[in-house]
Amino acid sequence: MVLKALLSHYWCHPWQTLFLLLGLTAGVGLWSAVQIINQHAETSYAQADSLLGTQASYWIRSKSERGISQRDYISLRRAGFVQIFPVVEGRVSTSQGVPISIIATDLFALPGELLSSNDIEPAADSANEWLKFVQKPYQSWVPQQLASELKIETGDSLMLRDGRQLPPALIQSRAQQGRQVLMDIGAAFSLLNTDRFNYLVVGRVTTDRMQKLEALLANDLDDDLSKDLELVENQQHLDLSQLTQSLHTHLSAMSLLSFAVGLFIVFNAVRFSLWYRRETLLNLRLMGVGISTLILVILLETLGWSFIGTISGLLTGVYLGQWLLPGLSASLHNLYGATVDAVIALHWSTLLKAWLLTLLGLLWALAWPMYLQLKQDVLQANSLSVRLSTERSARRNLAYGGLLLLVVAAAVYPNIDSAVSGFVLLGLLLFAAAWVLPLLLAFGLHLISWFLPVNNLIGRWLVSDGWSQMPAFRSAMMALLLAMTANLGVGTLIDSFRASFIGWLEVRQSADIYLRAPQINIQQLLDSDRSDQWLSDSHARIGVTTRWRGRPTLLRGADTGAPDSLVFPLAQWLGENPEDALKIWRTQADAVLANEQLHYLGGLQLGETLQLETDRGPKDYRVVGFFYDYGNPLYQFYLSREEVTASWKNAYSRGIALWLKPDRLQGASPLQLAETALREAGANTGDWISQAEIRKLSVNIFERTFAITSAMNALTLIVAAIALLASLLAILQERLPEFAQWRALGLRYREQFLVITIPLLIFVSIAWLLAIPLGALLSWLLINKLNIVSFGWSMPMLWEMAPAWKLGMLVLVIVLFTLALALFQLRRRLPMALAQLGELS
Amino acid sequence: MKAALKCLVLVVTGICFNSVSAQDVYQVLRDQVQGFAEVVRGKPLVFPRDHSAHPEYRIEWWYITANLEDDRGRNWGLQWTLFRQSLSVEADTEGWDSNQLWMAHAALTTPEKHSFEQRFARGGIGQAGVKHGEIFEAWLDDWHWRSETAAIFPSQLHFSVGDSSVEMQLEGLSDWVLHGDLGYSQKSTQGQASYYYSQPKISMSGTVHVGDETIQLKGTAWLDREWSSQALAKNQQGWDWFSLNFEDGSKLMLYRLRHDQGQHWLSGSWIDSKGQLNHLDKHDIELNPAAIREIDIGNDQTVELPLEWKIGLPGYGSKWKIKTLYDQQWMGTRFPYWEGMVLVEDDAGQPVGRGYMELTGYD
Repeated sequence: MVLKALLSHYWCHPWQTLFLLLGLTAGVGLWSAVQIINQHAETSYAQADSLLGTQASYWIRSKSERGISQRDYISLRRAGFVQIFPVVEGRVSTSQGVPISIIATDLFALPGELLSSNDIEPAADSANEWLKFVQKPYQSWVPQQLASELKIETGDSLMLRDGRQLPPALIQSRAQQGRQVLMDIGAAFSLLNTDRFNYLVVGRVTTDRMQKLEALLANDLDDDLSKDLELVENQQHLDLSQLTQSLHTHLSAMSLLSFAVGLFIVFNAVRFSLWYRRETLLNLRLMGVGISTLILVILLETLGWSFIGTISGLLTGVYLGQWLLPGLSASLHNLYGATVDAVIALHWSTLLKAWLLTLLGLLWALAWPMYLQLKQDVLQANSLSVRLSTERSARRNLAYGGLLLLVVAAAVYPNIDSAVSGFVLLGLLLFAAAWVLPLLLAFGLHLISWFLPVNNLIGRWLVSDGWSQMPAFRSAMMALLLAMTANLGVGTLIDSFRASFIGWLEVRQSADIYLRAPQINIQQLLDSDRSDQWLSDSHARIGVTTRWRGRPTLLRGADTGAPDSLVFPLAQWLGENPEDALKIWRTQADAVLANEQLHYLGGLQLGETLQLETDRGPKDYRVVGFFYDYGNPLYQFYLSREEVTASWKNAYSRGIALWLKPDRLQGASPLQLAETALREAGANTGDWISQAEIRKLSVNIFERTFAITSAMNALTLIVAAIALLASLLAILQERLPEFAQWRALGLRYREQFLVITIPLLIFVSIAWLLAIPLGALLSWLLINKLNIVSFGWSMPMLWEMAPAWKLGMLVLVIVLFTLALALFQLRRRLPMALAQLGELS
Repeated sequence: MKAALKCLVLVVTGICFNSVSAQDVYQVLRDQVQGFAEVVRGKPLVFPRDHSAHPEYRIEWWYITANLEDDRGRNWGLQWTLFRQSLSVEADTEGWDSNQLWMAHAALTTPEKHSFEQRFARGGIGQAGVKHGEIFEAWLDDWHWRSETAAIFPSQLHFSVGDSSVEMQLEGLSDWVLHGDLGYSQKSTQGQASYYYSQPKISMSGTVHVGDETIQLKGTAWLDREWSSQALAKNQQGWDWFSLNFEDGSKLMLYRLRHDQGQHWLSGSWIDSKGQLNHLDKHDIELNPAAIREIDIGNDQTVELPLEWKIGLPGYGSKWKIKTLYDQQWMGTRFPYWEGMVLVEDDAGQPVGRGYMELTGYD
């Protein structure tokens, strides 16, 4: 009965109910979306010891990285290792410049119950479709998500940048295909202009067979088999979990922020319901209902809402997750080479976590305020003065809380050593600012009324009406502040990163052509007389992959005198300037350059001596500089090529960079001459990539990598806009009788418009003004603390006012839109309110 | 006529999706595809050339079945089959673009259990094929049947099923048997036919390794070779096939293509003890199921099969009863069928021969 009385409010005020639901749904939805996709990614890492639905415990790779010949593969199959299957991987670019990853295999060769229908989603005409996969003109199996992004349908042939086409598409995928396009080996060989596999996968084999395989590859037992093959354990699932941890923490933090913003909406809605339900509560108490009963009822209501919120939030979350997943998959693939499947699943643990989080949030945002209301003296009058003084003390208490958070933040600051602690600091700062905001809003109102001329009555009235609107807008403004700050902060991070990344690309990728064609005799080509016409310089690099402190590490051997080595972009160096460090590196065999990741994540110090495992045992090297290495999740050392050749016999060519002579006025351009020469030497189109292309591709990958962050950013802002709208509508609801009275007293619509608009604009401006320095602080922390502890990339912060203006304009548009909506409501409902006014009087 | 047909259908239909029913799969064998070489009467078979592959025809197989005994006199059976299919009418090319598809089935029936394995491979890359030149070899991965000379016998057969590995020596003891009209084997009145020949008596001996155990086996094997471009008529549902070796040295191959309206197509070859080959058609053959039993085929499924038969050749005054040696010889491959050892009894119930039986289209 009591419950019914209390809940009747929700029937009477559907708008409030809607906003409460909206807040809950938005908050829980965003949070759970990220949870779902994070969990999904982790599941995918756990499956990283599988490939295309088949166990992949080991790989067979070519030591020289030249790939594996068909002859070697067939030799292994004919030796009875039928669990081995070939894989070709490659990257192509669509005519729109979208990078596409290709994975190819021979479906017939996949071990186990490969051909069971469970593995393949049957298409309409399954039988014939399947044969088309292995026969000319072949097929491209495009995952649903990717297909809709690329706007291709079954039967379409995707056009590539160089004018070639992918085989006709079939919209379906296999397990662990992720965002890759799957095709037959035959199709990939022709598409990628190769006749060698990138690697062979060793499926599930018995220990006995594994030992035989190891022996076969390690010893020279089989004359047919190339000596270039090596068996490598697939540690990808371990590596991926470790490497991607930071990215997932980032996303979780953003989702928690969204949840908080959602809670502000709930808080807002509850505040208004309190306003209406105060009387009900009072009456119930006057009727003799005990406090404990009321508390129980409030708790029941909270519980009810937590269920509703969890369910609607999770439904939204699953949908949002599906929408965000391509972004995450792209980030993961580009950054870490991780394959994430396109179909997500909801786990029980997410459900439980979402419910607990919702319940906690509601206890704070719903149950607590109601409890406080309940505790108020029954007979305390519901007067304006009481309301205003309550508001004042609430403001003060919040501000104290905010200051307290600041103190805690200051204590946390020196101890940031992980992404988690970094985000704790960010959270503390953001909430401190949000809690101090109401005080600043009040201060702003004071300040404005101070400056207003005494005889500007309308102005004074408009400002002072702000005081009565303030309580309604308080939580909406806090939500808006959080969203704007996050938007500016993350935006600045991305802009700074983009600027640093592009600048870095220009230095690192200064050569005109990058060539990787193991089949041709490059030295002969470079030494030929004709190359004088186009070649100005070259840099052949070699490398070997190893592990350093458990993490995958690249050892590169560079020509220390090559044009790009002379201007190696160093972040830290020994000596006076970078040139000093590079000079040491050029002249001393034991000098190495290490990437920043080794410093920030690996704990390596400048000048430190480290030990690397060479073919002839451990050897000491000294770090003379740390270089920027954006986008690389791995450790990387640069040594001189002579040193790498001498110490690691397995070092293989990592390609060659070619610098061309300047364009001449007449005749063929050096680029054309170079390409002709390369073709004549036996290189295929696709073996080399020009500077313009590689930069375009890199920037494209960068943009796709940050797509998910931008999406989260936009979503948070949308949630804040909802909060704003909810507040405005609530104000209308609350003050409609008042407005009707004013109207009866002869106030015009224009004046009414001003009464609602001006204080709101004042509040939003103050929040926006506060968001600017706060956003700057956030981005500074993101760039200088979080980015470094998470990824090990340092970069200068690039602060510009333009995004802040843009955001201001955007918020203004949102405000005006919600205002229009609110005023439309007002016009519609005012006559009714006027009529009621008549009845009352 | 062997499970080969059915199995090749399976390849044709894309290794069978569960959604494709067995009957749908047969449809592919019934379809006439223009452009493949046609099986015509009167074309002489030439050996050893015709032991090799005929990529211009749509389907083809090399089919070995063997009734073996261990030194304790217990019955062992083995089957090894290599199937080839052309996926398109274009001429075959080397490399990954090849339109040849290969499939192999292997089964080992021990006194304790029946195990089987299947493999697939594409042509053109050396993973599977049949080559015939200085040596003869039919292979898929490490499974192979190889002779050191151009002649198909003597040869070695190696394959593995689960943890068992089989090494056998084969020696042909009989003349080649050209079924039908000198190898032209008619399958219906509507023109469906195949080229079909057999080596009905092969002495086989060798070892099976099961884990650490090595078992010596010897006995008699049967080789079937068949190729065609359209093998089934539209109203043919499945078939029952027998290859029998009698103790007196005579041999019998016969099959029944089951028509949906009754009036099954019956055909066979009778090689008497003097080696005289006689072609049999529906007027010569009486073939009727004598007992239908239900067997467990895994996944909680069962199937009813005619596991005992009565065979009569009235023209030769012969009547036999065919009984399975073990009921459990189900091939639960992607395209399932029953293939296994049978015992031949005379009228008096005395064992007079051994052989293999194949039952398709019952699943």
